Amino acid sequence: MMKRAKKAMGGAANRAAGGSSALFEQYCDPATDEIGPEGRKFLRTLHLMPINLCVLAVLLSLMLAVHAGVERFCSDINTDPSDRKVLLLAWKMRAKRMGFFSREEFQSGLTALKATTTAQIQRALPGLEEQVECNPDSFRDFCTFAFKYCLTEPSQKLIDIDTAVTMLAIVMPREPLMPRFCDFLKEQTEYKVINFDQWTSFLRFAQEVKPDLSNYRDEDAWPILLDNFVEWGRRNADRPIDFT
Amino acid sequence: MLKQSKSVNTANGRKLTFKPFKKPVKGLPDGFEEATWAKLQAAVRAVHNKEPVSTSLEELYKAVEDMCHHKMAESLYARLQKECDAHIASQIQRLASSSTADPVLFLDQVGAVWDDMCRQMLTIRQVFTFLDRSFVVAAPGVRSLFDMGLQQFRTHLEARPQVGEKLQRGLLQQIQTERRGDAINRQLLTNLLRMLSSLGIYSTAFEAPFLEETTQFFQEEGRRLMEELDPAGYLLHCERRLREELMRRRECLAEGTEPPLQEAVEAQLVAAHLAALLDRGFPTLVAARRLDDLARLYNLADRVDMLDPVRFAFRDHIKATGTALVMDKDKDGEMVQGLLDMKAAMDAVLQQSFEGDPDFGNTLKEAFEAFINQRQNKPAELIAKFIDAELKSGKKGQTEDQLEATLDRVLILFRYISGKDVFEAFYKKDLAKRLLLGRSASTDAEKGMIAKLKAQCGAQFTSKLEGMFKDVDLSRDIVSSFRSSTAAQARIPQGVDMNINIMTAGYWPTYPVVDAKLPAELNEYQQVFKDFYLDKHQGRRLVWHNSLGTCLLKAHFQKGPKELSVSLFQTVVLSLFNDADRLGFTDIAAATGIEDRELRRTLQSLACGKWRVLTKEPKGRDVNDGDTFVFNAGFSAQLYRIKINSIQMRETVEENTKTNEQVVQDRQHQIDAAIVRIMKTRKTLSHALLVSELLVQLKFPIRTQDMKKRIESLIDREFLARDSANSNVYQYLA
Repeated sequence: MMKRAKKAMGGAANRAAGGSSALFEQYCDPATDEIGPEGRKFLRTLHLMPINLCVLAVLLSLMLAVHAGVERFCSDINTDPSDRKVLLLAWKMRAKRMGFFSREEFQSGLTALKATTTAQIQRALPGLEEQVECNPDSFRDFCTFAFKYCLTEPSQKLIDIDTAVTMLAIVMPREPLMPRFCDFLKEQTEYKVINFDQWTSFLRFAQEVKPDLSNYRDEDAWPILLDNFVEWGRRNADRPIDFT
Repeated sequence: MLKQSKSVNTANGRKLTFKPFKKPVKGLPDGFEEATWAKLQAAVRAVHNKEPVSTSLEELYKAVEDMCHHKMAESLYARLQKECDAHIASQIQRLASSSTADPVLFLDQVGAVWDDMCRQMLTIRQVFTFLDRSFVVAAPGVRSLFDMGLQQFRTHLEARPQVGEKLQRGLLQQIQTERRGDAINRQLLTNLLRMLSSLGIYSTAFEAPFLEETTQFFQEEGRRLMEELDPAGYLLHCERRLREELMRRRECLAEGTEPPLQEAVEAQLVAAHLAALLDRGFPTLVAARRLDDLARLYNLADRVDMLDPVRFAFRDHIKATGTALVMDKDKDGEMVQGLLDMKAAMDAVLQQSFEGDPDFGNTLKEAFEAFINQRQNKPAELIAKFIDAELKSGKKGQTEDQLEATLDRVLILFRYISGKDVFEAFYKKDLAKRLLLGRSASTDAEKGMIAKLKAQCGAQFTSKLEGMFKDVDLSRDIVSSFRSSTAAQARIPQGVDMNINIMTAGYWPTYPVVDAKLPAELNEYQQVFKDFYLDKHQGRRLVWHNSLGTCLLKAHFQKGPKELSVSLFQTVVLSLFNDADRLGFTDIAAATGIEDRELRRTLQSLACGKWRVLTKEPKGRDVNDGDTFVFNAGFSAQLYRIKINSIQMRETVEENTKTNEQVVQDRQHQIDAAIVRIMKTRKTLSHALLVSELLVQLKFPIRTQDMKKRIESLIDREFLARDSANSNVYQYLA
């Protein structure tokens, strides 16, 4: 409650506070020492929900009148929680749990951005986008992170189709093959989950294969999922893409 | 002439002198040459005019000799030449101006002229022999007299092209006439053709146009008859034509004409139409087993070096009929017999029509291999079942030799199949049933079959099967020693006797263990035996398989006792009726502890089948929870011993699916093991090389899709990883 009162001061007033640590404390939950969507009860419900709803819940604005830490943080940097930039931030911070930033993660992330205030963070965001856009290694790293970010259980190795589709749209919005691949994933029934190998293979696929699929060779070592995609893609070449 | 005198000293010293004749050398009388020539010329003319010669041959001969002696040979030759030339010219002129329209008559005329010329030249040569042998031989570039005549004949012939043309047309027409089926004067033809050969104009004047006409004739005939005749008839016609042409050639034409003639006929009649013949006729001929016609086809094709199209037609026919046989799911029951019949028929064609040609033999084999593997797994399964039927007891009407022959033929089919592990799985399952339920017709036949399989597929393939036989023999020994062990015999309950088969787990198929609450005596007996066995073989574990047990029960009905041959489960159910006449389903379920589906099946076989030792209330095929079962005291049957356990022998749909699934599972494991083995050795390998290596190592057919699936699975389980630099390369993760 005390921390909430402090929040009223707003981001600009933080300059005086100095350091990312102070910034962190503006948003964190003292009980857990991490920034997250507040409300234990809500958390527990989250864990019971299927993972895709988890993602939606975290990245979309909450309808609850609870000023959760992540949401506040996002609004202070003038970014919608479902925006790609948030995921980029999470990547920079090497966040392990979706929807939460630990102290170390938050601080190391801000250090990497050379930012201590929300304004600085905000200014650093376009640079982040550019980095991922222009540097293929960074992009690959970002995509890899995105997959692992979706794994909530300790031994979990797979993400379900809906999560995959949502993530792909966030991670590579401008990739011409992405919408069709997502269509395909939703339509096919052979695979209900995607593993890491398939995820990284699609990344490579997007880089190497032309949008008209003409240079694809199925005698190469592509996973069967992608063989199926190419077959589907060739069969449905004339179909308009479903953007729903 | 001696010019000098010779002196010789005789024995008594007198000189003998020899003096030459003093004959005065007369000069030749005047006009000797003219007079002598006049004599000769008259003779020559007489010969040419077919008149008698007045002067005797001797005189003529001497005249020639004289002239030659007196250095008049050259002029004599010239004069003779001129004389003959004039005569031959006039003969040919007569031919040229002949107005005979009938070609045969004209040929006659030519023939006559030629005969005359030959005869006359020979006569003249006889007269002028001395000239021929002295002057002609000595002088280079001078033809012998007969050749001179030929040369003149030829020259004049060439000067009168219309004669040559008429002659040529006549000759060709004759041949065409004979081809059309009418008779001709072969002697005349032969004669004239020999004339052309002698004249050295055979090829140009006859052979070339003859071959051209032949080609055209047979081209037209070929096209026409292909429309009119069916393929078999057409082939017969080709054979006949070839025979005719060659016979005519032998009789009338020069030897050198044979190869091009044969080639022309074969090309136009056979080669040009072979593809269409095969298309139209091959399948029907094979299907109708027209072995002679096929042999004819083979021979003709061989002559034109076109055996390959025939071979491909053979291959395609086999593939088409075979595929239809194999893919017809409704006719699975007849597939194996159908294949055996088909193989026998194709073998007959190969041996009798295609002369056992090894290339055709190979094609037959490859075609069978191709179509039989079009359908995965089913042919192998059906072949195993077929053999099972042959080896089961109750198969009547075959001698040992017949059985062996059938099995050999089936094994040949087996050799064509690429996924032999499916066969092994079903064979093993069926063999186990035969051994355990005592259904083998003959152990010799069984062992013979194993030996054949071993010869075909190697010892590893049959080692488990052989193990099964060993187990059966060992079991017999153990049971026998059990029966003779007084200690054991003392402990067993009365009224029960058991025959036990001990199966080494690795050899036999796996059976699900289905529990049941056995009657007390059976349990006791089993326990005694188990103790006996484990006493001898410590450290082993015995598991009773109820589903495989069979019993012979003595049942007492109102109309008399019967022996019932039943399964163990049926026994368990029936023995409940020793204590009660009526039992409800649920009670039976509780008392027997048999798994639900198995129990229902068992009750069905006892109450709803042919032999109803129990009756079911209410009536009906299906066993429902509320049913009651009643001991059928009034049961009667003709035979004393009744078999009610035939369901055990029959394969259920589930069993079949299970066996197939097991093969799939085994294959997956084998693929995984192979991949790991390969990658462990190579450490890093490209996708393409891994795939090709797998295809070499695996003994069953596999699609690249399946391989990829296993590779992905192994990547998931972290046995392999994709190389970070090259995505088409795999790394082995130790």
